[in-house]
Amino acid sequence: MSSTDTAPSERRAGAGDYLPGGGWLARLIADGAVAAALLAWWLASRALPDFVLPSPLKVGADLLTLFTSPALLKHTGASTARVVISVAIALAVGGGLAWLARAVPVTEGIVRERVLVFLNSFPSLGWAILAVIWFQVSTFSVVFVQVAILIPFCLVNLGEGLARIDEELLEMGRSFTRSRWRLLTRIALPLLMPYLVAALRISYGIGWKIALVSELFGADTGLGYLMIQAETVSNATRVFATCFAIVVLFTLGERLVIDPLARRFARPS
Amino acid sequence: MTLARKQRLAAHAFTLGALVLWLVYSRIVPPYQMPGPAPVARDMVSFFADRLPLGQLLLSLGHVAAAIAVSFVLGVGIALIAHYLPVLRLLIYGRLTPFLNSFSGIGWTLLAVLWFGLNDVTVIFAVSAVLLPFALVNMREGLQSLDGELLEMAESFGRSRLRRFQKIVLPSLAPFMFATLRVSFGVSWKVALTAELFGGNGGLGYLVNVARQEINTAMIFAAIGLIVLFVHATDLYLLTPLQNHVFDRYRAL
Repeated sequence: MSSTDTAPSERRAGAGDYLPGGGWLARLIADGAVAAALLAWWLASRALPDFVLPSPLKVGADLLTLFTSPALLKHTGASTARVVISVAIALAVGGGLAWLARAVPVTEGIVRERVLVFLNSFPSLGWAILAVIWFQVSTFSVVFVQVAILIPFCLVNLGEGLARIDEELLEMGRSFTRSRWRLLTRIALPLLMPYLVAALRISYGIGWKIALVSELFGADTGLGYLMIQAETVSNATRVFATCFAIVVLFTLGERLVIDPLARRFARPS
Repeated sequence: MTLARKQRLAAHAFTLGALVLWLVYSRIVPPYQMPGPAPVARDMVSFFADRLPLGQLLLSLGHVAAAIAVSFVLGVGIALIAHYLPVLRLLIYGRLTPFLNSFSGIGWTLLAVLWFGLNDVTVIFAVSAVLLPFALVNMREGLQSLDGELLEMAESFGRSRLRRFQKIVLPSLAPFMFATLRVSFGVSWKVALTAELFGGNGGLGYLVNVARQEINTAMIFAAIGLIVLFVHATDLYLLTPLQNHVFDRYRAL
């Protein structure tokens, strides 16, 4: 998330091998600890009632039904669709604001010192509550919450990308063609791509994190709705399962869509 | 007029315009949808005038402080263990951190409610669990950038590991520790609000929940506005100058 943005990150040479691919011992310990944790969970769950700690097997089974049972797949699909739509809208709005700040320099103060600061410090729960008051229970309300939370992250990343576009390269491009369209598609966009992918990665991750919060009040479908329903009847199995469903969906999207995109448009160093 | 001046002027004009728009809009729609600036300001002042809301504010502050302390100590401790026992790094950064990072804060809150009930422990647990991966990632960054040559030189001067740790490792890590605290502070308020709403018996989140049930939108606005102002002011007037100070002091390293 934003932690790496704010942290001082002048890495020195050789820092890349701080986390080695892992010798056999490291792998054994890492995967052994995961197995041990699962085992400990299973043992503890036998001693505790289900509403406190359900067994991992039950949670696993429930997790599976979230992806197989048509009645529940509706909720899983709704959450996924909302995250994807929200990320797309946030990228467009964030990119538009970043572009405005650069194209019309007078507005930079408005975008950076007002809009960004405001959206950045506004708590997500606040949006979730206000959205219900304003837009009732609807998909629009959920998407509104997610977009409001995601915009600052997109704005920061795409602004960074725009600031790094090489003016000299554009200058050179201008000496070859006058078509703004060609300049945009051949020079500006390829230079911007790594930042677009970074913005996509960050907002996708945060989008899933806040998917549950955004669906708590303003939705009658989705994983967040399922979760709050489960909470009211102390169904810890379902609470666990929805949390893990988010982990699974997030990981799938990152591995299948975002990582390949990032490899394709690697950030030039 | 210089560009910087124009930008500042435009930003102030924007603030003013937004306030006017808010005022006008609040006159058109019913107050439960959009309370005007005046009632919201009155509620914000009442936070400091009345004993009850002030107590909730302080309680939230306590939750946030406790959670930051817990996650900071745990994060620094775990990151140091990973640093000195490289064989554990895959477990900590390859398994634990991604897991904590993708487990949602609301999930921790709801589970904590089932485990600990509605109380301070639940809130502090949920906020700490959300903050921990941030601390881990930041401290890893710091430990990664430790200067090997500097440590080697120190080794040639003395054999005491403790002294080396005190004189080289800790000062080099100071900026990253500070960055950790700063990130934690910003994130913790937002999470604390959620955690208190579902898992607390007090705090600003609790107050917001009561206001939500009474559809007292002005109170919701006031609580949120207070958090926005408080986080922003602390960042601007306390943390940024402190961070610059820390960076200046340890730049030599």
